[in-house]
Amino acid sequence: MKRNLVLAVLMMTAFVTSEAGTISGKVSGVAGESVVYVDAIQGKTFPAPSQQPVMDQKGLMFQPHIMVVQQGTTVDFLNSDSVAHNVFWISIGGNKKLGHNLGTWPKGEKRSFKFDTSGVVPMFCNVHPEMSAFIVVVPTPYFATSDQAGNYKIENVPDGSYTVTAWHEGAKNQSKPVTVAGDGKADFTLSK
Amino acid sequence: MLKRHQTRVMVFCQLLVALFASSHSYAIPAFSRQYGTSCSTCHIDFPKLNDFGKAFKDAGFKFPKDDETFIKIPPVMLGSQAQQELWPHTIWPGSIPGLPPIGLRFNQFFQVTSNNRNNFNSQLAPGTVGPFIPRTDFQPGFFSIFTAGNFGSGIAFWVDDDISVSGANANGGLGDAYLRFVNLSRFVKLPTDSLTLKVGQFELDLPFTQARSYDISPYDIYSQANIGAVNPLYPQQFVNNSFTLAGPGRGVELSGGHHYGGYRYAIAVVDQNTSGTPPTNYPNVPSATGGSSGGVGYFSDSNFKDLYGRLAYRFNLERDPASRHEVQAAGATGPRDHTYLTLGSYYFYGRSVQRAPGSLSNTSTPTIVLTAREPFYRLGGDFDFNYRKLDIYGLYMYGHDKDIVPFIPAGFTFPNGFISGSPATFSGGFIQADYLVYPWMMTIMRWDRVASTSDFLNGIGASASSPPPTPFFSPFSSVRNRFTPGVQILIHANIKASFEYQVRPKQVVYNPGTTVQLVSPFRTNTATAALEFVY
Repeated sequence: MKRNLVLAVLMMTAFVTSEAGTISGKVSGVAGESVVYVDAIQGKTFPAPSQQPVMDQKGLMFQPHIMVVQQGTTVDFLNSDSVAHNVFWISIGGNKKLGHNLGTWPKGEKRSFKFDTSGVVPMFCNVHPEMSAFIVVVPTPYFATSDQAGNYKIENVPDGSYTVTAWHEGAKNQSKPVTVAGDGKADFTLSK
Repeated sequence: MLKRHQTRVMVFCQLLVALFASSHSYAIPAFSRQYGTSCSTCHIDFPKLNDFGKAFKDAGFKFPKDDETFIKIPPVMLGSQAQQELWPHTIWPGSIPGLPPIGLRFNQFFQVTSNNRNNFNSQLAPGTVGPFIPRTDFQPGFFSIFTAGNFGSGIAFWVDDDISVSGANANGGLGDAYLRFVNLSRFVKLPTDSLTLKVGQFELDLPFTQARSYDISPYDIYSQANIGAVNPLYPQQFVNNSFTLAGPGRGVELSGGHHYGGYRYAIAVVDQNTSGTPPTNYPNVPSATGGSSGGVGYFSDSNFKDLYGRLAYRFNLERDPASRHEVQAAGATGPRDHTYLTLGSYYFYGRSVQRAPGSLSNTSTPTIVLTAREPFYRLGGDFDFNYRKLDIYGLYMYGHDKDIVPFIPAGFTFPNGFISGSPATFSGGFIQADYLVYPWMMTIMRWDRVASTSDFLNGIGASASSPPPTPFFSPFSSVRNRFTPGVQILIHANIKASFEYQVRPKQVVYNPGTTVQLVSPFRTNTATAALEFVY
């Protein structure tokens, strides 16, 4: 009887902790889109998603300008312009050893790269210096991009305690502990 | 004496102005705005074009393919595209750029001249205070306005004007202004881009542009006029041809091919610009309002039109056939200029007008004006070899002017005709090497050489109060060599700092009117720094 009671409590605990909640809030101090994500969770790994998002080069611009992907995601780089484009990055998360040049290819062709390391990847085309983009590689599937006003909402986050980080182009990152019990709140004020 | 000093200062200033003023250069920030792209999309070190920039220019200031997909500021349509179906009952629809494609350029120089700069004072009488040319000097440059773009239907335009030259806002002038009808070959079923028409005032299709050069100092051979020996100490010639290859041509040009690969030809028919009547207040020119005089005059005083032709072929030497035939070669590190070798030749034919008072009989005053039209030509060859970051190019020119000398019969005071004399000739050229140390830093080394016997003779015994034409008072020999190392640094894509050190040809100073040298041969070397920006 006592053993059954313990089992029931454990099952209920597991049920409660696996409930999907949200983390929401506002990123202020900067204008435009920001990325907010849950940092690595100790002891937890997440399978890489099978979907391959596309970073397009069109009209002499990377599209989208900011892309968030989970660690392990393979990104397709497409050239939709009738001029040749190049894709390279000098670091991932500030680690210059992870810099890479994907090469140069003409219109209609694409190349792929799997991002196994989390961190921000500033992306360039060495033909058109005005072109830049950011791929934010995050360690968990819990992330969101804010709207232009800075409001964000990360959904399907299990209850628990996490560290949440906000990133914005050109601003200093900010991390905060957040406890999710159904809903969690975290506001950020970033500065450049 | 004062006048003599003023003249000398003026000549020296002309030398400096010639040094700087000849070096127009333009990059087109309006295109950056229109396409939302950096200057470096088209330029290596503005205004030096890369292969894509050459293709952009060849296409009529458009992207060679899918231009409309790159334009960030849509053009204003002068009629809907559907109007084309109504033609000839409507005007063929064109377009104008969505923003006025106006660019501005400003530059400023700082110059250091060697200690020899005042050697010409040795011509002065003892105790006379001569002009003092400062060792260091700020030289105002240009403030220029320019506009270029495409009106649709493959019609490109260009206008540039110097609002201010050397700080004097009244001394500016029209640079180039033309319409260019690109790829007319499509109407006559010729290969694509094999026929393009340019109409207006423009720089001839020179192997290497002077009007849009990125060097501080101009190519000596391009500014070489052919003045025959007029020194009374030597047999004189009647050649006084102010034509220089760098001067603008007014007329039409047919051209075809591409600057970034394959063949390229140009044939131009232009006005003479050897001794044209100044275009202001010419008394015998009917005015625009119907008066018998007061018109603006003619730019040429002859019906004869000069002819210019150029033929070149560029061998793109990329191993990969796909890259070889693209606008730019592409590798892992990105698109880049091809490894290429261009070989070309050019020929210019014109007639230099010379007039002299004459008489058909022995009279005490002249009764007629004798006109000599001295045929002249310039011909030469050129090469351009580019390997990755190194670009070596050069040009050779030979100039020949027939000398038609006024003939004065025995017993006559004035000539009654002409006879042939010794032709006035010159030759020379330049070789330049550019090396791109970084994308923002280019080093330059150039060797200019001009061989002109008449320039040498004219300098012997010349007086500062009556000097031969610039750039040299008294060359030491008939061969003038100039070595010019330099470096150019892009502070931003549209701001550039340049530096040149010119090892200039040797000169000597003579006792005026004699062959007696007053000083040892010397060089007036100069170091010049320039700052310029376009926006």
